[in-house]
Amino acid sequence: MKGVVQRFRVMALLAGVMSLLLWFVELPVVYLLDAPELEAKVKWIPFVHGYIYAVYVLTAIHFTAKARFTIKRMILFILAGTLPILSFIAERKVSREYKF
Amino acid sequence: MRQNKGLANKALIGKLGNTLAVILLVTAFIWLGFWQLDRAAEVKELQKPYQELPIVALSDIATPNSNLRGESVNRIVEFSGTYVSQFDAPNQIDSAGEKSNWLVALMEVDGGGYLLVLRSDLPSDLPKGDISVTGRIFPRQYEDQSEREVGKLSRIDPSLLVADFPGDYYDGFVAVKKEIQDGVELTVPRVNLDPAAPSVPGYYWQHIAYVVIWWLMALVVLFLPLYSRWRERGQ
Repeated sequence: MKGVVQRFRVMALLAGVMSLLLWFVELPVVYLLDAPELEAKVKWIPFVHGYIYAVYVLTAIHFTAKARFTIKRMILFILAGTLPILSFIAERKVSREYKF
Repeated sequence: MRQNKGLANKALIGKLGNTLAVILLVTAFIWLGFWQLDRAAEVKELQKPYQELPIVALSDIATPNSNLRGESVNRIVEFSGTYVSQFDAPNQIDSAGEKSNWLVALMEVDGGGYLLVLRSDLPSDLPKGDISVTGRIFPRQYEDQSEREVGKLSRIDPSLLVADFPGDYYDGFVAVKKEIQDGVELTVPRVNLDPAAPSVPGYYWQHIAYVVIWWLMALVVLFLPLYSRWRERGQ
């Protein structure tokens, strides 16, 4: 269980950071600013976020299944990776519940 | 007995509802994955250098009152008609990055419909009578390049003229390469414009990442009922 929890925590933090970058850096640069040079510099964010979120989903399923969470909780953990702060909250909850 | 039957019916309806929800969600996620895959393919296609296609008649690739199709953008078209009016379009930028005032005329095309025609970046009188035009077709502009004023076009967009010249309009505009009047080519300096790069937002690997996510979500939806059963059995 320790490895599963640690993998989840790492991916939750990474997904959270990438969501922050996507929502508060990439999206404003692309849709609010008219700055093609800056746009080129942040173009890696959405697709790195995409792949990290995919891995996050897998680790979230692995962790919640191992912990025998309800389906509702599993779905909430999966969705937590889509919003900037929710995955941090999920990570904090898990680290408080599972101390090794 | 009747109560058991009622409970069984309820359970059956519940199962059918869940199955239906799973089928709908899986179908939606798979469809979204394919849609995203198409977007990725479009992005890849647009990155290729533009290949010139043979000249076609305007009526073969566009009709008034309908949106310009993606495959029609940048085609070189031929048509004829009569100019109705001419406008200045200030602050427009050509392929060299130079800002100037463009001369945009409204033509009533033979066969019906109005079309915006970018004629020049220097003052020029509007030719009278039937004019044959060859030029590249571009999508309409969405962003104003200047303030809105009478007799001026803040952007090259047929919708700006509908109130003053009611009728059917072709979408987009044509940048003239050649104008012929009574068999004689008019010598007017033309605006140099690169073929438009119709854009699909995003990047190839970004779209592929989202394809992965949509299809992963379809798998998750399929997995959830199995997980639920496995969890119940474990308890």
